[in-house]
Amino acid sequence: MVVGVGGVPVGREPSAKGRARRTSRRDLLLGLFGSAAVAVALTPLVAASRSLRAAEPPADVVFDETYRGRHIRGIQTAATSAGRTLGDGQWHVTVDGRPLQLMRRADGTWLSMVDHYRSYATPLEAARAAVDELGPGQRLRDTGEEHMGGDHGVHA
Amino acid sequence: MAYTRKDVSTLTRAERRRFVKAMLEVKRRGEYDEFVRMHIEFYVSDGEGGLRTAHMTPSFLPWHRRFLIELERALRRVDSSVSMPYWDWTNDRSATSAPWTKDLLGGNGRRSDRQVMTGPFAYAEGNWTLKEGVTDGEFLTRDLGRARDPIALPTKSELAGALADPVYDVSPWDSTTTKGFRNRLEGWGTGRGPVAWRNHNRVHRWVGGAMVGGASVNDPVFWMHHAFVDLQWSRWQSRHRGARYLPAKPPGPGSKQRGRIVARHEKLPPWDVTPDSLEDVSRIYRYA
Repeated sequence: MVVGVGGVPVGREPSAKGRARRTSRRDLLLGLFGSAAVAVALTPLVAASRSLRAAEPPADVVFDETYRGRHIRGIQTAATSAGRTLGDGQWHVTVDGRPLQLMRRADGTWLSMVDHYRSYATPLEAARAAVDELGPGQRLRDTGEEHMGGDHGVHA
Repeated sequence: MAYTRKDVSTLTRAERRRFVKAMLEVKRRGEYDEFVRMHIEFYVSDGEGGLRTAHMTPSFLPWHRRFLIELERALRRVDSSVSMPYWDWTNDRSATSAPWTKDLLGGNGRRSDRQVMTGPFAYAEGNWTLKEGVTDGEFLTRDLGRARDPIALPTKSELAGALADPVYDVSPWDSTTTKGFRNRLEGWGTGRGPVAWRNHNRVHRWVGGAMVGGASVNDPVFWMHHAFVDLQWSRWQSRHRGARYLPAKPPGPGSKQRGRIVARHEKLPPWDVTPDSLEDVSRIYRYA
């Protein structure tokens, strides 16, 4: 799926400000490097690190790991529009190849369609929590990409 | 004449039977899944743009109040003796107490796939196939108390803490407020771990399965839970005489919340009602 951070066009940003986004993004990177379970997709990460050093919006930030037998993957597409702040890209998160819908809270944290009554510091944490809640044998419903993206793509 | 909503643990055998029968009929008619869809559609998070009517917002209480009244209308078209019972999770706290009995909502999900196997809403009964869901399973799921990492239902004292707050809600009117009755009851906490869920939110997690996801309405306990939450609003009003829904007026032109929340006299989508009109429902129903 495609998640626009904030889910709205630039210029209509809600209260989650740049600071919260940077924190969230930094946490994501820390989460990636800090976890032994992570099978890192190196190339985009390196690109992201370089971008960070250059204080430029990153190309891609990807997590790609097996968590409790599930393949979870998150891609943040680089923001290309002028005027977007760091981390203001779009998230594609999948569990076993199926899109996991994420929403953003005003404090910059994330909640998923599977786990809708609390939030997590990063999309990675939200994806792992979604796996915890899915339980054995359950798969995300394949809603198809046509429902994703757009102004309201972050929620069902 | 106003009807009465009762504590689910006090229903007679006949009342339980009629309640279940009406729920299954509303489902059979296809009306129930409209409620599931509506709840998904109106779940707008506060880190996004747009109007929030149902969650992370002052109108959390009136929105769900009206939502319940709508379902109750559907139930009462089937059987005019039926109303929505409430689940007092400060009293009925185990996985085997009301409402988790075979003649009401059935019990916990089984370990292998969390599928509810008992009671009238079990998939095998053929009357409760999920149409709108987060997962591709068509069966109702539960994980009462969270088997993997147990959590408890909110306590009486946690609920009392919300009721003691004399102010309905405070700026910025979202999930980040730490004061105000509304969010203390809705239950958006800060931080990690079990403290992240409080009161209303924590109950959704305690039930688990369908109830913790975007399609939480699929579990009929959703309504019993929200009837109890709704009762807290009435209790809060009794306790704080004269305290009203806030904000009374829309946020000003400079506010980030302008156009994103519903003030006391504004319309509460999708309905043609205002929070003001939902503060007193004594002509519609009462709590026993």
